[in-house]
Amino acid sequence: MSWVKSVQYSGEDVFDEDADDINLQDKEWKYNMKKRVKDGYVDGIDHGKEASLQLGFNMGYREGAASTMAIGQLKGIISAIQCWCQLQRPDTPTSVTDLLQRVVKHEDSLMEAMKTVLENPVPSVSDVSENMEDLGVGEVESSCCGGGGCSKGSDCCRKDSDMDIGPILPQKPRLSFTLPTDPFTITGESLEQLLQCCMDIVSELGLPQELIRHLQQLKSATE
Amino acid sequence: MAHKSEDLFDCILMADDRFHVEGYWEGFDEGTRQGMVDGRKHGASHGAKLSMEVSFYYGFGITWKCLLQNNTDMKARKRLKVLESLLGLIQKFPHEEPQYEHLQEDMEKVRAKFRQVCSLLNVPTDFSDYVKSGGSGGISF
Repeated sequence: MSWVKSVQYSGEDVFDEDADDINLQDKEWKYNMKKRVKDGYVDGIDHGKEASLQLGFNMGYREGAASTMAIGQLKGIISAIQCWCQLQRPDTPTSVTDLLQRVVKHEDSLMEAMKTVLENPVPSVSDVSENMEDLGVGEVESSCCGGGGCSKGSDCCRKDSDMDIGPILPQKPRLSFTLPTDPFTITGESLEQLLQCCMDIVSELGLPQELIRHLQQLKSATE
Repeated sequence: MAHKSEDLFDCILMADDRFHVEGYWEGFDEGTRQGMVDGRKHGASHGAKLSMEVSFYYGFGITWKCLLQNNTDMKARKRLKVLESLLGLIQKFPHEEPQYEHLQEDMEKVRAKFRQVCSLLNVPTDFSDYVKSGGSGGISF
């Protein structure tokens, strides 16, 4: 049981001929303990992932669903108008087919942008504050108002989750980044522009006012 | 002497355990982070696609309802009835809720109703993205 010796070792009675022996035992000990840490780490990662995967999925699902609601409806509206034109008129105005193409393009950009942002989420506040502590910069407060309301705005106050990564779309911002459904971060036109264009087409074609009201509602919801 | 060597054993075993546990919690934090990121990515993709499809049917239905609203002939009334049925189905369907237990089932009902609407309207159903059962069969992990 040579390892017992290494625990008892006080550093006082060293004979040169024992030095290599103790060094080796020490190395062996350190190696084994490092291995234990690594094994623990691997076990921990597996369990951590298992615990949070469904939670993450549910969160992402709701965010994804919210982000495509308006563009999906607009696509349906324009497609219906196109069908109506094909059945009722000798020709379909190019403005209609053109708008449909632009809507599809916007949809593709939105999906791409969502994918890109979710591949590389920004570190959370808690990650940053840990690092700052390591650098000896002093504690970053994760909550600035003690629950009593904050004058800096709703995305200043963090909830207790370590996994705060950011909202997607017109949700109340409670996390640290926004998915780019903000029109100017997606290449091409904004949803508002497309909705306005659709309203113009409905007016030009003399279609029911109710449709314009519905488009107006969609526009207000995305502002 | 025996007592002292028991302490030594404890010391070693505890050290072994302690290192494992240290590594475990560090790994757990990292795993939790990775799981959230991966889960969120997949969830967002599923949610976005499903919502896109359902919202498309809704927009389509709402528009045709507006267009046919003032017609009083039998054909229009029959079409309006089916359109109202489609819109009603969608309104009651919590498609943005990933844990909804009848998600797939209700989705199939909505799709079937949409096909019925298109058939009544004599609209070619070449919205091939949506008419086929798009996406994977199961939504939840």
